[in-house]
Amino acid sequence: MAGHELISAQLDILGARLPAQAVDELADGLRESYEHHLSRHRDPEAAARAAIAEFGDAETVTAAFVHASPWRRLALKLLITGPIMAAVWATALLSGQAWAWPVPLPFKILYGLALVGVVGLLATAVMARHAYRRMRRAVTGAALALILLDLLMVTAVLTVSPGSLWPIAVAVPASLLRVLSVARTLPAAMAA
Amino acid sequence: MRAEALKGHLDGLLLAALEDGPRHGYAVKEALRETTEGRIDLPTGTVYPALHRLERAGLIAGSWSVVGGRRRRTYELTATGRSALSRERTGWQEFATAVTAALGTRPWPATS
Repeated sequence: MAGHELISAQLDILGARLPAQAVDELADGLRESYEHHLSRHRDPEAAARAAIAEFGDAETVTAAFVHASPWRRLALKLLITGPIMAAVWATALLSGQAWAWPVPLPFKILYGLALVGVVGLLATAVMARHAYRRMRRAVTGAALALILLDLLMVTAVLTVSPGSLWPIAVAVPASLLRVLSVARTLPAAMAA
Repeated sequence: MRAEALKGHLDGLLLAALEDGPRHGYAVKEALRETTEGRIDLPTGTVYPALHRLERAGLIAGSWSVVGGRRRRTYELTATGRSALSRERTGWQEFATAVTAALGTRPWPATS
């Protein structure tokens, strides 16, 4: 059965926002709803409008996908655990007198800026309401950058730290756990 | 029915809609509407992300087929999903019994 231009327009909007597989599924549901209403109304225009009203407009549907997205969940998890990790690392760096380590100042500044950038990306992703693809890109970028930053910090500490202090012995495994957790979550989120 | 009243129960409702056998997204929504006599009529498009979340949690399993020239994803309960539905039912019955007892109509106290 042929569709209706209103249905096609709705699917075009969803197609520009959501993953292809989700759009295939939504297209089936929306056309099923259209056919259901067409068999009752006999008027294609009225059936298309009824189907869209029953289905929810593109804003509502996209917002539901964004809200339930594993990407948003990952961003939230990283933002919530962020202050704990920051406290753990602050304690480790202060107790190890990190200001005296032979690490060039521009590297320290760049590291700090990258960390702020990651937090910004994650916050943007959590606040996104309709931009599913942008949110996905933001969380992917932030998660990969965080893995890199964690590994850099662990390498730097293990290389230049003067001795083994308990705060560092806590911070290093904490970072490695976060790296493992993000690395495990990313492929599952990619498949969603 | 107000949307906030469904919070925390949507997963159980979707699992229950799949209890009789595999269904695609639109059929799940229709089953939910019919069994509740129209009291719960979710926007169809919002049912899909909830189904995807249940699938990621291993409570339902989805598979693709082609029906009438269209790609269709059908979902069915997994063994874990059946256990979760059973727990959801027990929890709901306990909750409903407690709330009914607390909110149930009582005669006004006699005044002298």
